[in-house]
Amino acid sequence: MTATWHADDAELSRYVAGVAGAVNGASIEQHLLRCPVCRARVAEYVPQQPLEVVWERIRRQAEEPRPTPAQRALVRAGLSGSDALLVAAAPSLRTSWLLGLAGTLGFVALSVAYGGARGLAFFLLVAPLVPVVGVAFAYGPDVDPAYEVGRSAPYPATRLLLLRTAAVLATSLPLVVATSLVVPGLDATAFAWLLPALAFSAVVLAASTWCRPAVAATAVALGWACAVGSAALVRDAAAVLTPTLLAGYCLLGVAAVLVLRLRLRRNPFSRELT
Amino acid sequence: MNASPTVDLTGITKRYRGTTALSAVDLTLRPGITGLLGPNGAGKTTLLRILATVLDPDAGEVRLLGRAPSGSVPLAEIRRRLGYLPQEMGFPRSFSCFAFIDYMAVLKEWSAPGPRHEEVRRVLDLVDLADVAPKRIRALSGGQRRRVGLAQALLGVPELLLLDEPTTGVDPEQRVSLRQLLSAAGEHSTVLLSTHQTEDVAALCDRVIVLDRGRILHDGGVQELVATAAGRVWLADTPDPGARASWRTGTGKYRNVGTVAPEGSERTDPTLEDAYLLLLGSRASVTEVAA
Repeated sequence: MTATWHADDAELSRYVAGVAGAVNGASIEQHLLRCPVCRARVAEYVPQQPLEVVWERIRRQAEEPRPTPAQRALVRAGLSGSDALLVAAAPSLRTSWLLGLAGTLGFVALSVAYGGARGLAFFLLVAPLVPVVGVAFAYGPDVDPAYEVGRSAPYPATRLLLLRTAAVLATSLPLVVATSLVVPGLDATAFAWLLPALAFSAVVLAASTWCRPAVAATAVALGWACAVGSAALVRDAAAVLTPTLLAGYCLLGVAAVLVLRLRLRRNPFSRELT
Repeated sequence: MNASPTVDLTGITKRYRGTTALSAVDLTLRPGITGLLGPNGAGKTTLLRILATVLDPDAGEVRLLGRAPSGSVPLAEIRRRLGYLPQEMGFPRSFSCFAFIDYMAVLKEWSAPGPRHEEVRRVLDLVDLADVAPKRIRALSGGQRRRVGLAQALLGVPELLLLDEPTTGVDPEQRVSLRQLLSAAGEHSTVLLSTHQTEDVAALCDRVIVLDRGRILHDGGVQELVATAAGRVWLADTPDPGARASWRTGTGKYRNVGTVAPEGSERTDPTLEDAYLLLLGSRASVTEVAA
C-alpha cells in the first residue's frame, strides 16, 4: 500500500532526533510503515558518527581480552592492572597448573591418611617443594615461550620474577596448608615444613641469578628428597624438622635473600640466562 | 651530513663451548635498512641477540643509541627504544593475537590501558592482522604468527629495529606489504634485517653485510656487491661443471655462476644472489640461496 502524502524534511529530521513529540512521532512512525519513499529518505537524517562509534565499541569489546579470574584477584590484592596481566601470565598461576597442584595435594593427603609413617614421609617430601616448583615455573626460558623477546623489553626482569614469586607463594602455600589439615597425626609443630619451603624458594630465586630457575629447583628437590629419604630409612622422616635443622633452614633462607639482594644490585638479569 | 651511529660495535667476540660465533666484529649502523646475509652458523643470530641486549659478548665494546648497555638504567633506556623479532619466537598457547601484543606492550612499559590498546591496534593494522586480533595465536598460520612477532617489534616506533628472518613463511603478497612497511620504518629508524632471502635485501636495503664464520666478509652497498659478479654469470644451453653454481632456469637455459665465458654462452646481468654465492665460495649453500 502506498501513502498519499509524504512527511516533510523538518518532520523527518525531528523524528530521527527524537524531538517530534509523542503525537507527531507516533503519526510519522505509522506513516513510515506504509511509505517506502519516506523510509528511504529517513536514512539521510540518521547521523553516521554514532553508528561508527557503536561499531568501534563492538570491535573493541571483541578484541580486548577480558581480565582472567587470576588477574581480577591480583587487582583486588592491590596490583595495578598491567602488573596483574604480567603476573597472571606465569604458567604456575594458570588454572590448569593450579588444578594439577590441587589434584597432587589431594593425592598426597589420601596417601598420608592411609599410609602411617610412610605417608608422613611422603607428605614431608612433597609439601616444601610445592612452592619451589611454582617459583621455578614462574619465569625463565624453560617455561616462557616469549622469554627472549620479553628480555629485550625494558620491564625489569627482577621485578617480574619477584612479583610472580609472591603470587606463587600466596596461591600455593594456602593449598598445602589446607591439605596438611586433613593429614592425621600432624600437630602444630608439623607446620614447621613451611620454613624449609620458604628457605628453598629463596634459594631458587638466588640461584636463578646464575642458572635457570628449573635447574636450581631440580637441585633443591633432589637434595631435599635425599634428606627426607635418608631420615625415613634411618629413623623417622620428621627428623628433617628438628629444632636445629629448623634454625638451619632459617639461616639458609636469610643467606639466600642476602645473596639475592647483592646479585640484584649488580643487575644479573642483564646477562645471559639461557 | 651523517647521522650519529645508532649501533657502534668494536671488536665483538662471542664463543659457545669452544666454537667462535663472532670474531672481533666491528660494525657501525645508522638510520636506514641494512641487510645481513650469511650461511647458517655464520653468527647472524648471535649478532642480533647482542644488539637486542639479551646476550653479552665475551669481548669488545657495545654502544647502542649512544649508550653502553651496562647497568639497569642505561639498559632500560636502550630497550625502550629498540624492537626485536627473534629468529624463533614462541607464543603462550592460550593468548589471542591482541592479548599477546597487549602483554608485550606492558613489558614495553605501556601501562595505561587506553593508549596501550590504541598502540596494539596500530601495530596490528600495520601488519594487516586487525581482522584476526581476537583469534587465538595457535589458530593462526605460520605467516600470520610471523607477522604477530613483527607487530610486537614495532610497538612504540623503535629507533633500532632488529629483525631475524621476518619474512619466513609469509606469502608473496604479504611479503610485498611487509617490504612497504619496512621501507617506511627505514626512513626514521635503523633497521637491521637478517635473512636468507637475497631478493628481500636487494629490494629493501641500500647496504648489505655478509657474515661468515663470525667475520664480516662484505660491508657496503648492495650494488657494490652485485658489481663484483659482473662478467661472471652466463646463460648457456648446458651446465658448466667448472661453475660455482649452475642450474636450469625457466627459459630452458642454464645459469652458470662463477665461470669464464663458456662456449656458446651469453653474458647476463648478475643478481645479489650470484654475488653472494661468489663471495662465499664453497661455504655458500646453493640450495639455501636458490630457494
